[in-house]
Amino acid sequence: MLSARSCWRNASKTPYRHARYIVAAEGRHDSLDAIISFPDTQSGEGAEEEQHGQATISSGLAGKSIAVKDNIVTKDLPTTAASRILAGYASPFDATVVKLLRQHGAAISSKTNLDEFGMGSHSQNTNAGPVLSPYSRNGLPLSPGGSSGGSAVAVATEQCWAALGTDTGGSVRLPAAYSGVVGFKPSYGLLSRWGVIQYANSLDTVGVLAQSVEDARQVFRSLDVFDAEDPTSLPVSVRQRMRLQNSGSGQLRIGVPKEYNIQELSSSVRSAYARTLNALLAAGHTLHQISLPSTRRALSAYYVLAPAEASSNLAKYDGIRYGYRTSGPDALPKDNLPLYAQTRGEGFGEEVKRRILLGAYTLSSEAIDNYFIQAQKVRRLVQQDFDRVFAQSNPLLHADTSNSLNAEGVDIILTPTAPTLPPTVEEVKRQSPVESYMNDVFTVPASLAGLPAISVSVPLSGQEREGLDEHDVNSVGMQVIGQFGDDESVLAAAKVVEDLYY
Amino acid sequence: MNSSKLRTAPLHLSRALHSSVPTSSRVPRACIVSKWLSSRNFTAAPPLAQESIPLRKHLKDEAKRKKAEAKNNGVVKEGKGDPRLDNWELTVGVEIHAELNTACKLFSNAPTEGSDGVANSRVAPFDAALPGTQPQFQVATLLPALRAAIALDCEVQRKSGWDRKHYFHWDQPNGYQITQYYEPFAKNGTVSLLASDGVPATDLNGADSINIGIKQIQMEQDTAKTTHHPPSTYHVDLNRAGHPLIEVITLPHIHSPQTAAAVVRKIQSVLRGVDACVTGMELGGLRADVNVSVRERGTEGTGSSYSGVSGLGQRTEIKNLSSFKAVEDAIIAERDRQIAVLEAGGVIEGETRGWTLGAKETTRLRGKEGEVDYRYMPDADLPPLVIGSDLVDHVRSTMPELPDETVGRVQKQYGLTVKDAKTIVDLDEGDRLEFMEETAELVTHGLGDQSLDQLKIGKLVGNWILHELGGLLSSNEISWNNMPITPTELADILINLQNKQITGRVAKQLLNGLLEISTSPRPSVDRLIDDGNLRLRPLSEEGYEALATQIMDESPDMVAAVREKGQKGKVMWFVGQMVRRGEEGTVEPEKARQVLERLLGS
Repeated sequence: MLSARSCWRNASKTPYRHARYIVAAEGRHDSLDAIISFPDTQSGEGAEEEQHGQATISSGLAGKSIAVKDNIVTKDLPTTAASRILAGYASPFDATVVKLLRQHGAAISSKTNLDEFGMGSHSQNTNAGPVLSPYSRNGLPLSPGGSSGGSAVAVATEQCWAALGTDTGGSVRLPAAYSGVVGFKPSYGLLSRWGVIQYANSLDTVGVLAQSVEDARQVFRSLDVFDAEDPTSLPVSVRQRMRLQNSGSGQLRIGVPKEYNIQELSSSVRSAYARTLNALLAAGHTLHQISLPSTRRALSAYYVLAPAEASSNLAKYDGIRYGYRTSGPDALPKDNLPLYAQTRGEGFGEEVKRRILLGAYTLSSEAIDNYFIQAQKVRRLVQQDFDRVFAQSNPLLHADTSNSLNAEGVDIILTPTAPTLPPTVEEVKRQSPVESYMNDVFTVPASLAGLPAISVSVPLSGQEREGLDEHDVNSVGMQVIGQFGDDESVLAAAKVVEDLYY
Repeated sequence: MNSSKLRTAPLHLSRALHSSVPTSSRVPRACIVSKWLSSRNFTAAPPLAQESIPLRKHLKDEAKRKKAEAKNNGVVKEGKGDPRLDNWELTVGVEIHAELNTACKLFSNAPTEGSDGVANSRVAPFDAALPGTQPQFQVATLLPALRAAIALDCEVQRKSGWDRKHYFHWDQPNGYQITQYYEPFAKNGTVSLLASDGVPATDLNGADSINIGIKQIQMEQDTAKTTHHPPSTYHVDLNRAGHPLIEVITLPHIHSPQTAAAVVRKIQSVLRGVDACVTGMELGGLRADVNVSVRERGTEGTGSSYSGVSGLGQRTEIKNLSSFKAVEDAIIAERDRQIAVLEAGGVIEGETRGWTLGAKETTRLRGKEGEVDYRYMPDADLPPLVIGSDLVDHVRSTMPELPDETVGRVQKQYGLTVKDAKTIVDLDEGDRLEFMEETAELVTHGLGDQSLDQLKIGKLVGNWILHELGGLLSSNEISWNNMPITPTELADILINLQNKQITGRVAKQLLNGLLEISTSPRPSVDRLIDDGNLRLRPLSEEGYEALATQIMDESPDMVAAVREKGQKGKVMWFVGQMVRRGEEGTVEPEKARQVLERLLGS
């Protein structure tokens, strides 16, 4: 058995190949519950060739196996969003991102597990059985992160070449950090959401999980096109404008937000963060302290806005047209009971019900002014925080950005992806919902502002790894955030970070 | 009910209009009768079935009712008769929902419902709320909405937005309706009503017209149709789900049930006139909610304020009224109920009430505690709706004539009375007017050099279409749509009449005859005249005198009556005798009168 260290030193961009062996050694089943469904044609090669035959665009994705989070609809596989309420649901159409993958010759290898409808940070709230991380601590499995935990684990354990996830408040970046892979959330509106099951549609983005920044970039570029089916898809004119203003690579001005230096930051994460910043400095980049004063309120705003939108988006699941429906009659009209109480009560999991109730409350006429409206104001402040610190101006606010470079501004912001290493699933169970929401504190601000952000793993040093057994994680996620539409710079900066170590 | 049956409406309408209907009121041309289930309510109780009454019966009843009212010398059956109304003032605001005339749904490219729609055959993925689907605003739906806004004199907003209105119901697939709650696309309009629109004199206060403010117009989605299969099965048809509607909200500027009904009628006619709206109330294309309050005259009520109008009493809302009569009767019943409660020392609760056609009272649907909180929230998938002033200008410049404008033009151009002009404009969705204009043009052209002036021709054609043709259709129970006579045929008859080629009596016979000829091709009017030997072969002066003398000899008493008693009216009796006794198509009444007057020495 290879040691973790030797594994990544073996010139692989995939430091965690050994995960498979760990799994095998422990006699667990092979997929760690990362997958919800596979295509009928089990022979992977056959399927790939078949898929390859459909390719209409010559692409580096040809023949690659790509897993798709199970909240993105596919014609040939059921789509459940890991919810009982969508048990057996077969979509009559492919999501646009799936259609594009097929056009590029990729094979959709499987549908991956997730927190029900994307609601969770540890991929434990799922009707398909909790996702297991390939790592463990003192024999207890660790959280794989969520909600795209199935996609992250599938990539980490090479059950696929890359995977699509969705990111609403960190759901691609957090599992990438916990599972040791790359997770990229593009700017809101770049990748089509047609066919992506809504959780909080003003925040939802399709993201990419891969073993390297280069792979993530390749998938991203294949999907980065305007889609008329998605009313929030950025129009071609805006895309062109953004392309012109991408900051070049070379020497980076890197922002270090002082508000991210929080008490909850664990010592190993803090140390790896400092080490990475020093390495970047040594490589000729410059560091600049910046202030994002609304950071602390961003998390609260997120947990008002996302449930509010969820309560609306999930209202359609009533068992009438598709999906799960209670046996026997639902509430009888003559009893004047709400119609779908039984079906929805049985069909949704606890966390989903919690957020629907929370959202229904914050939108109610008695609470909307104090919660929903206030949260929208905070969201605006968060956006303004970012606009103030970036060198590039926000292309959504200024049509002509050629002369509006802020010389004091930064090109990208670097932060840890999560404040701690992954907790064990036992610790997660003991957490209150609010404590588990804390995990998203670093990822939520970029989501509220719609900014591109990526989590890239950096190896823990021997010192930082002290006290961890050999089955524990070897890396920690670092997050690069860029100005809206500056996705290429974010990918380029992530590559710089990746190249420091691998 | 199919559309061809509905087309029979004008038959009865024309009869009604020419019976003893008081000139001040217009009879509604249509009624309900969609089974609009209580879809917009959050009640899970079985929907209040609004009874489906055949259209003919409804129109007959309506005409009878108006007749009875007219007999009471304009004293409306209740109203002025009720002494309590001296103390209490009614205030009403109306919300009208109308289906826009568009080819596709509001947020999907599924075609809008047609009469032949198989259930659930016109449903795009978004209309069925399939997971992962999003709305795509269909720009074309904006055009009829803009026509409506301009016709109702609204300010079109440069920027408006889309909001979700949440409630669970099986006819609402997404669990919310997309509407324009926070920022509607049109605001601050007006609808103007005349006495002839059905506004009682007491509301007019001596003025020619009253203006009712339009607070706003918003676009929104229609719901699916559900049908109940007892005891506990409901079928859902999504064909209508997502069809574009507009909701027109008036200010509480209305103070009588009659005016409220007139407002609904007027708005409907304006919407139809500018081709904004698909159907009238008869197909469920238009529905109204009313809010009703009363206050003691000279007081501020309970100090309530709605849409910026303050000093009113507590109001209640009555939902889903789908005929003009329902609007009027429901308001009367609710007004009387509120007065009774208040006079007994009670308090009016802000609540939603229902009304069933034919009922005596409104019924409570839900109170404030049971009120649904719609949790209005902007739809994050939909960008704001931005309407450029150039588009508004374009729509304005290409607007069809408004009904009131058409009536004015018809009066001026064809010399019709207001009443006749209004009637001809209102009938058959404008078909009758089109027929008249075409006929008038043919007559003008056919008369050539000897043409009369336009006003006289207009009057002639108008009279023949409304009265002669209208009467014939009515007594033969033929609907306008099945009426076989063409404008060319009528024009040929009138040209012959005007050129003294035939008598008026023959003209009427020809018209009647044409109704019965179903062969195709039909013989021309001239051919019919010749074949029937109907052409006027004028008698010579001597011929007239001989015929007149003969009749005078046979009736010495009548001659004496004229000559000795000076009963000049009796001359017309002689004229009638001459027309009857002379060979068909030989005696012209006017000429006969001249000869008779000379012979009788009167």
